[in-house]
Amino acid sequence: MKQFISMVIKEGKHIVRDKRTMLILFGMPLVLMLLFGFAITNDVRNVRTVVVTSSMDHMTQRAVNRLAESEYFTIVATVATPREAELAIRGQKADLAIVFGPDFASKHTGVQFIVDGADPNMAQLWTSYATAVITNADSGVVNAKMLYNPQLKSAYNFVPAIMGMLLMLVCAMMTSISIVREKEKGTMEVLLVSPVKPLMIIIAKAIPYLLLAFVILIIILLMAHYVLGVPLAGSLFWILFISTIYILLALSLGLLISNVAQTQLVALLMSAMVLLMPIVMLSGMLFPVESMPTVLQWISAVVPPRYYIEAMRKLMIMGVGVEQVLRELGILSLMLVVLMGLALAKFNQRLE
Amino acid sequence: MTLKYLIQKEFIQIRRNAFLPRLIVAFPIVIMCVLPWVMNMEVKNVKVSIVDNDRSTLSQQLVHSIEASNYFIYSGQQPTYRAALQEMERSHADVVLVIPQNYGRDVELGRQPQVLIAANAVNGTKGSIGSSYLTQIVTAQARPEVAAMQSQVSTLFLYNKHLNFKLFMIPALFAIVMMLMTGFLPALNIVGEKEAGTIEQINVTPVNKWSFILAKLIPYWIIAVFVITVCLVLAWVVYGITSAGPLWLIYVLALSLALFWSSFGLMISNYSDTMQQAIFVMWFFVVLMLLLSGLFTPSRSMPTWAYGTTYVNPMSYFIDAVRTVFVRGGGLSSVWHQLAALLGIGSVMAAWAVMSYKKNS
Amino acid sequence: MKMNAIEVKKVSKVYGAVKALDEVSLEVKQGEVFGLIGPDGAGKTTMYRILCTLLLPDSGTASVDGYDVVGQMKQIRRRVGYMPGKFSLYQDLTVEENLRFFATLFGTTVEAGYDSIKAIYSQIERFKDRKAGALSGGMKQKLALSCALVHQPSVLLLDEPTTGVDPVSRKEFWDMLSGLKERGITIVASTPYLDEVKRCERVAFLDNGQVRGTGTPEEILDRFADVFNPPSIDHDQGGKVQEENVIEVEHLVKAFGRFHAVDDISFGVKRGEIFGFLGANGAGKTTAMHMLTGLNQPTSGTGRVAGYDISREHEQIKQHIGYMSQRFSLYEDLTVKENIRLFGGIYGMSDAEIARKTDELLTRLEFAEHKDDLVASLPLGWKQKLAFSVSIFHEPDIVFLDEPTGGVDPATRRQFWELIYEAADRGITVFVTTHYMDEAEYCDRISIMVDGKIKAMGTPDELKQKYNQPDMDHVFTHLARQATRSSD
Repeated sequence: MKQFISMVIKEGKHIVRDKRTMLILFGMPLVLMLLFGFAITNDVRNVRTVVVTSSMDHMTQRAVNRLAESEYFTIVATVATPREAELAIRGQKADLAIVFGPDFASKHTGVQFIVDGADPNMAQLWTSYATAVITNADSGVVNAKMLYNPQLKSAYNFVPAIMGMLLMLVCAMMTSISIVREKEKGTMEVLLVSPVKPLMIIIAKAIPYLLLAFVILIIILLMAHYVLGVPLAGSLFWILFISTIYILLALSLGLLISNVAQTQLVALLMSAMVLLMPIVMLSGMLFPVESMPTVLQWISAVVPPRYYIEAMRKLMIMGVGVEQVLRELGILSLMLVVLMGLALAKFNQRLE
Repeated sequence: MTLKYLIQKEFIQIRRNAFLPRLIVAFPIVIMCVLPWVMNMEVKNVKVSIVDNDRSTLSQQLVHSIEASNYFIYSGQQPTYRAALQEMERSHADVVLVIPQNYGRDVELGRQPQVLIAANAVNGTKGSIGSSYLTQIVTAQARPEVAAMQSQVSTLFLYNKHLNFKLFMIPALFAIVMMLMTGFLPALNIVGEKEAGTIEQINVTPVNKWSFILAKLIPYWIIAVFVITVCLVLAWVVYGITSAGPLWLIYVLALSLALFWSSFGLMISNYSDTMQQAIFVMWFFVVLMLLLSGLFTPSRSMPTWAYGTTYVNPMSYFIDAVRTVFVRGGGLSSVWHQLAALLGIGSVMAAWAVMSYKKNS
Repeated sequence: MKMNAIEVKKVSKVYGAVKALDEVSLEVKQGEVFGLIGPDGAGKTTMYRILCTLLLPDSGTASVDGYDVVGQMKQIRRRVGYMPGKFSLYQDLTVEENLRFFATLFGTTVEAGYDSIKAIYSQIERFKDRKAGALSGGMKQKLALSCALVHQPSVLLLDEPTTGVDPVSRKEFWDMLSGLKERGITIVASTPYLDEVKRCERVAFLDNGQVRGTGTPEEILDRFADVFNPPSIDHDQGGKVQEENVIEVEHLVKAFGRFHAVDDISFGVKRGEIFGFLGANGAGKTTAMHMLTGLNQPTSGTGRVAGYDISREHEQIKQHIGYMSQRFSLYEDLTVKENIRLFGGIYGMSDAEIARKTDELLTRLEFAEHKDDLVASLPLGWKQKLAFSVSIFHEPDIVFLDEPTGGVDPATRRQFWELIYEAADRGITVFVTTHYMDEAEYCDRISIMVDGKIKAMGTPDELKQKYNQPDMDHVFTHLARQATRSSD
């Protein structure tokens, strides 16, 4: 037991003494949370708009005023012909032109949008916002309610995703590198030959990273709640419980990688290629899984963070009870059992 | 003159590496073949659950028109709003539509019925776009005159007539590939020589700092040309997408970006003691620059302080410029200031890379 | 009759196409000090790894303390102490933390094991709060030794434990081993040093994966005299040495914080001379050499190398010198020819000149058929010869060699010195550090550094006379024992 504790302490010292890596490990969650919380948004805002009208009558003037007053549009110019407007868009001076026809005042019709369609999502959003503002059309029929996220903050969507990514990264990548480093430097030989059980060596190496993962998890949760105002609607116990399963799963993955990789460089590249890319791309973190082609959806079905992120979104943001995430919990547990079993079975007690 | 030998050595080392040549070839191919399908932020397949409290002919019609829409997936009717919300919690529904009692009668009498649309807005984009499409369908039936007015508005989409998301994303992928290929590999280079001990041998030779660093940069520029060619060819072969603007300008932009990333990578490498450190520091900056570059989200939507960073972010200049050239067909005159900024930042970084390399301490 | 502590029967091990061990059989008696000697790549490390259960033999059986290395891993790991050849410490832990960690790992404490490591650990104990990564090469080796010996296993496997360690500390280390032997611990050690081989009770000579012979050190050294005891080289100083000083150093100091690694040294080296720069680990040799080669700036004092000032004109100096560092530093992923071409090119030689001289060099080294081999695949002794040849390829005025022959057998070292003499005959000044005292005898003149200062300087004969000692080994020990500090 004493040996075990001293190994854990030693591993902790490695982490604490590498100042730059520490800085990144703790800086990364902070920076990501702040960026996703405040900077990265899909909001329609500051759209550079050109108004095209030959006769600025009363009706047109009112519509233009409505546009200018909305937070979405900034009128950058008023020109006489659509040709001029198009030139402004081509010259990257404007994103959107609104052409008011001569009978706009009388019939409320004859409006045309000329849009920079390079970004299709934004182009569609701009036109639908502009339509709404100009026609002043609240049909009054529909009472739309945005559940769980009334202000449509992107942070609500991204916080669980950041958790999924960072926990995987810290546990899997850092653990695998730290094990492979000992192999590469030759200290692993001495550790293996010592009377300490090989399994203990690995567990002792994993524990500091486990703690680190929890610290990062708690930092993220606190920041999400107090800085970004993201609710922690569901049961904190289950949030932590599922996170623990996920963290253990990530550790098993790291252990698997460390068995295959012989040098730190390979471990790094494998973590980056096998873990980071699929997590960011296929877990539904940034891009919704249901919009992908079927083949990619199948692949994403074996990406663990997909289920973790899904479960966290439901628990944290929607505040559902644990009975609604049993499917995710089950899949994650199953993956944990398989991966951990595989990692332990594959663990080398010798050098080859 | 010594430059020739040093460059030769870098190339031999890249070629001998068991991993690098494969990476350089495979990476752009994988990225170009997979990511355009993934980076699709189109909102579709929105699941709708309906609570019909009216059960009139009109409400039935409304349900049918939603069922028929290929934008929505109809996931059945629920007896109560509560039950529908539970469906949402089970991820069986994204939007709930509640049709009030007397809906059919109200519409026929020209009164305004109160239809409730409740969307799961955890993903804000999906929630708002989904509910706004549903609103359109409802409005079309309940208030045909308003719908008529809205449909009068015609829209002309320039450059990307079919609103093809891939056309928008592919030039941005060039930026990602360039960043990973010409940024990460140099970051590992000098620190690798430090760990192997060969750097000491180089430091006692009379080799000039500039030639040493230049010899390390040039191979990555050549790799950049290769990689961008692969990307352009794949965009054409796989997606049938070609550049609307001049090709040479894309190469010039890519090389300027390579100048920045390769110098940045070497600079990080100079300050690092281990490969792990180099990768982590690199990764940090990559994520930062990527997220703030306007690749995923429009940079103009960012708050002022964040928008300010785009003035020093080369990724932002490159993505802006390459989209202008590739999608909008712009020429040198439309992107010259982005190009100038890229070259400027790149040169400063190159000088920094040379300065930070110390032969004598 | 004592039981055999280690029994190895017809063990073979193959890596791909390479036969690392070919039906090796060995017996080591309980409480014996057994030497496993042989050139680099002979299969010694593979043998150690099989004995401590890190590798499985392809065929044959081996047992340690009566336990089988294949089936009874646990029992063996509890009994064996192993110090790998590239024993690596945790660079970011301090000296004391490293020692404590390894002590706890093996279920003991530093206090309990202190007596068995005192002789060596006491030398570095004053630096116990320094990070291991900041120690000099020899210091690290001493710490590694302390870590390996802090627990007392019944069988101790030591893979070249003293490579890069100065003669005085090596003696102390072997005295420690004798102490352990008295407690009945079986020791298997490998070493390139003849004086250490002689301290073993029996040795096995391993070559190309086969045991060529086993017996007392005298028998083996005698039987394989061509490898272990090559005739000494005659070198005639013969008037090549000129009066002009090609290196001149006055009051040179290099301080790291309050610590003076090089503490006010002054000396001169004449053109054409072979100058031996000796000193214990941590005496400041490498630091001094770094200043002379323009890798480091001196804190104070002046020096001129090849006529250029070392603080201001270091880049000009680099044009006129060659350097071979302690860490072998050719590019391992380049072939022999490509390395030569690269360094020729760096020194501004033309393609034609490089091609001509490459052929010449390869023929002289009898390397021609290996010119397209990767450097990584060459045996250590060849690498060293190649590194030396590359460092003088551009015909520099002076060549600096930092422990160029660490870890190779006497015959290879002898060949290496023949190359040095050839270079000296061509008028190249040779500035060399070494821990082999027989090599010190080969030098024209030597200096001995102790605690950052030069304690003695002169020809080997002069020094022997002055300190009244029979050979350089004794001179060195005599001077180095006066050291009060031991680290740079």
